Amino acid sequence: MDGERDTVVVIDDDYAMRLSCQQTLAKVGYGVEVFEDGARGLDGVATLKPGLVVVDLKMPGLSGMDVIARLHDIDPSITIIVITGYATIGTAVDAMKAGAYDFLPKPFSPEELRVIVRRGFEWRRLQLESRRGELDRELMRRRFVTFVSHQLKTPLVAVHQYLDVLRRLGDAPEAAARRAEWLDRCLVRTDELQRLIEDWLTLARLEGGALVRQRVRVDLKEALPRMLAGHEPLAATQQVTLTHELPAPAYPVRGDPICLGVLFDNLIANAIKFNRPGGCVRVKGELAPGEVIVTVADTGVGIPPDALPFVFDEFYRARQPTGRRVEGTGLGLPICRRVATEMGGTIEVESAEGVGSTFRVRFPACADGDGAPDDGRNP
Amino acid sequence: MPATGARTDTKTVLVIDDDRDFTTAVTAVLEREGYAVVVADSGREGLRQLRACHPDLILLDVMMETTTEGYGVNEAIKYSDEYRAYQSTPILMVSSIQESPDDLFPRAPETDMIRPDRYLTKPLDIPKFLEVVRKALGR
Repeated sequence: MDGERDTVVVIDDDYAMRLSCQQTLAKVGYGVEVFEDGARGLDGVATLKPGLVVVDLKMPGLSGMDVIARLHDIDPSITIIVITGYATIGTAVDAMKAGAYDFLPKPFSPEELRVIVRRGFEWRRLQLESRRGELDRELMRRRFVTFVSHQLKTPLVAVHQYLDVLRRLGDAPEAAARRAEWLDRCLVRTDELQRLIEDWLTLARLEGGALVRQRVRVDLKEALPRMLAGHEPLAATQQVTLTHELPAPAYPVRGDPICLGVLFDNLIANAIKFNRPGGCVRVKGELAPGEVIVTVADTGVGIPPDALPFVFDEFYRARQPTGRRVEGTGLGLPICRRVATEMGGTIEVESAEGVGSTFRVRFPACADGDGAPDDGRNP
Repeated sequence: MPATGARTDTKTVLVIDDDRDFTTAVTAVLEREGYAVVVADSGREGLRQLRACHPDLILLDVMMETTTEGYGVNEAIKYSDEYRAYQSTPILMVSSIQESPDDLFPRAPETDMIRPDRYLTKPLDIPKFLEVVRKALGR
């Protein structure tokens, strides 16, 4: 096992070669064990678990090539250096194709041996590190997938539990009294699951680049008022006023009109939902050097300071003062962020509890004459 | 109200889970069996209720505010000085995650404390759940 000292196993039927390799490598701090034939060498490797093996290609009995094949069975990550006679360079190349790291033709100097062994260990460390990185990434991916499946399962679990209890309790008084309420909750939770799946698909498509179909010039001066108008019915039921301030002649950005629609629909809908009766939502446009900045401000409950760092995280839903989590899938803001990023922009939020929140989206400005002209297909 | 009326040996179950629909359904099942039920919707609230009502059994969800909040609560009750008085209270952990905790959190020390017979998956199989509750309460 590679502990504090890197261990090398040398397999060669020539006694002098074994001795000289051992002395050369031990002198610079490697742990070295030598074996006189392939069979003993393989046993030794299985026991000692060295990081690197030096093996002579031409040996009686088990040949170097056989040893290489079996070494990989014992330890796929083991690093192999083959020693060859001058006449067997072709075989050495075959050995490398079979998985050897490098070859060393005889005669070689002690320094040549040391250099090749050192390079072998460096290469091995890189291999192991990248594999560890892969393992970490795989673990993270698995945890994330489990987390997502949990989020999607939760509403389904609630529905199943309600239906099962209703079925078992039958006409018992507890059940009869609550049947209407529980069936209602089942419908609410299935709607929730539907929205979760839709939002999750949207996010997945954004990540995969499937939703961003076009990069055309979109003038937000036309697009934003149209989007706001679409939310008027909802705003009316919530007694919230929608206003916009877009004083400049144009607010041109480059992106996909549908994705821009998704981004601002989410922000505007949130601003209405988390507002108070009589409150307002103000959408403002600003121009800065090379930038178009849009803010969506509400006069609502605001976001608690300890929730602020997490609002753009997938599935995150802040807790209200009541302790209840806010309604929603928790995917709206991650979707907004994804769209903004796709367009080379950023999104951030400022908020004060009891006062309201302001979401600020910055886009790179689309220089006039840059790309296709606005084709009128604004969301 | 327990179906059999108030009894001096009525056992109390503390349910710690942030899904109010799940807790509503489970409460109905437990109350029908004659248990008194207290519900807490977070780990923090659960530990507060632990002191307030001295339950005979705890039903504890794994994923609440954070992915491992339940494990934190379990650890607090079993291993901290602060909750020593409640150390022997049986804890049933529940989650919709089917995998064993070892697969999900291979390096988490918390998994050592979770006994396999006390880890139930959601949705609960009601007869099995009630059997586990009975056994845990030594009935």
